[in-house]
Amino acid sequence: MSAPLLELDKVTIKFGGLTAVSEVDIRIGEGELIGLIGPNGAGKTTAFNLITGVYQPTSGKIHFRGKPTAGVKPHLLSLHGISRTFQNIRLFSSMTVFDNVRTAMQGNRAQRVRDALIRGKSFREVEARVEHEAMELLKIFGLDEMRETNGKSLPYGDQRRLEIVRALATKPKLLLLDEPAAGMNPTEKRELMDLIRFVKDKFQISVLLVEHDMKVVMGICERINVLDYGKKIAEGTPDEIRSNPKVIAAYLGKDFDDA
Amino acid sequence: MRGREKLFLLIAIVAAVGLSFASGSFNRYYLGIAIDVGINIILAVSLNLINGHTGQFSLGHAGFMAVGGYMAAKLTLVCGPMLPPAAQPFLFLGALLLGGIVAALAGLAVGVPSLRLRGDYLAIVTLGFGEIIRVIFQTSDFFGAATGLVGISKLTSFGWAWGFAAITVYIVASLVNSTYGRGFIAVHDDEIAASAMGINPVRYKVTAFVFGAFFAGIAGGLYAHHKAVLSPGGFDFLKSIEIVVMVILGGMGRTAGVVLAAIILTILPELLRGVSEYRMIIYSLLIIGLMLTRPQGLFTFGKK
Repeated sequence: MSAPLLELDKVTIKFGGLTAVSEVDIRIGEGELIGLIGPNGAGKTTAFNLITGVYQPTSGKIHFRGKPTAGVKPHLLSLHGISRTFQNIRLFSSMTVFDNVRTAMQGNRAQRVRDALIRGKSFREVEARVEHEAMELLKIFGLDEMRETNGKSLPYGDQRRLEIVRALATKPKLLLLDEPAAGMNPTEKRELMDLIRFVKDKFQISVLLVEHDMKVVMGICERINVLDYGKKIAEGTPDEIRSNPKVIAAYLGKDFDDA
Repeated sequence: MRGREKLFLLIAIVAAVGLSFASGSFNRYYLGIAIDVGINIILAVSLNLINGHTGQFSLGHAGFMAVGGYMAAKLTLVCGPMLPPAAQPFLFLGALLLGGIVAALAGLAVGVPSLRLRGDYLAIVTLGFGEIIRVIFQTSDFFGAATGLVGISKLTSFGWAWGFAAITVYIVASLVNSTYGRGFIAVHDDEIAASAMGINPVRYKVTAFVFGAFFAGIAGGLYAHHKAVLSPGGFDFLKSIEIVVMVILGGMGRTAGVVLAAIILTILPELLRGVSEYRMIIYSLLIIGLMLTRPQGLFTFGKK
């Protein structure tokens, strides 16, 4: 196995007396689609926040593309290629669909203050390029017709898709999806599974998927990590996970006799 | 779209300066109000960058205005008598820019530490800053202490005030209406999402504070050379609130609405002079009524 894109090495974070994530190891290789599952409160979103730099681990190390991410601010990690969506959709609420996407492109410092003020040739070139790229992305996801609609007034499923488009606009190497299927109906879930596979292949990126919905996770992930009470209790292919007694116990509870 | 914004700026400045040459024939009282309106447009539009577009609630705008006003006035008071009349406009321009730059530095000084704070806490810190500035000028003999500065030459004309108003509108609108500028609105909408998308919230907030403070400083310089006297009392908390009201009324983050609100809220108290005793009561009632009926701001046209 080549050097992983992302590597979590015994990562622990404590909030006061609570250990939210405890000595968790996760490896994600180039182009892999990895799942992260676990019951409510298992520490999945906390793990996301650790990877994206929102939280700093109490102990343990995180390496992204071979470099430690300790102390690196979230916006810089985004520039280095980690992008994400949020469990509770966080679109830019006062912006149009198009502006939501182009804002994410500014992350690569396409323009600076003086470009915006002077409005010269390079400014117009960047504006044209950003518009072109944003529209291409929106077209791929069938959102181009809605470019001038306010992002927050889209239907729920489209908002989820727009969040993925926005995340892709930062040109990530690793895309973290935080419960993308939450609140979706079975048809939307099937579409989402196709979409995630498509995104991974089309943009040649790795995906880490946090998800509650077993059908979605089992259906598309190559490997799955299972968290329970902040600890990693299992890792393997969907089939291995499905028959793992520890995972079954974590999800369904143990009988008193076994305990 | 090519060059349209710059054309607007050019036309506005030419119109302002052109009208200024004809201003000798205008009624002095109305001319004075027109200049007040120009100055208030600068204040409201620059505060709109901080409070409206970037969503940082600052109550310190009068403080930045005071810094600019005192710096500019002191410079013309000291250097003015030494220079021939022909050089006065250049001195004035230099004084305004000096005021703006010192205010921008004050904006940076306040901005960097206080930007770790959000919402109410930031409002309190900026409020405190405004008061500290006022007290510094009130106790400093160099700046005339409680009496303030008097005998400032009346250099502010219609052209200066409205010319700078046009520049302020151009710069704030250009900053915001660009791919770069979407970052301000991203910080306003959702800081966490913004930083996950590679936007550095601190950088955008400090930029907003520095630009906002710079133009507040310019407005302070124009104000000083319009009223010819500067007293620290003129830059108290109420002055900051007055500007905040213009921004809220204009519909936070909408430049065109904020310009209109600045015009109306400057003229309104003058119209109410006839009923002077009830003036502030009517003014307050109007604002309360407005907040009840149109909490999104009076004018919500124009894009964000």
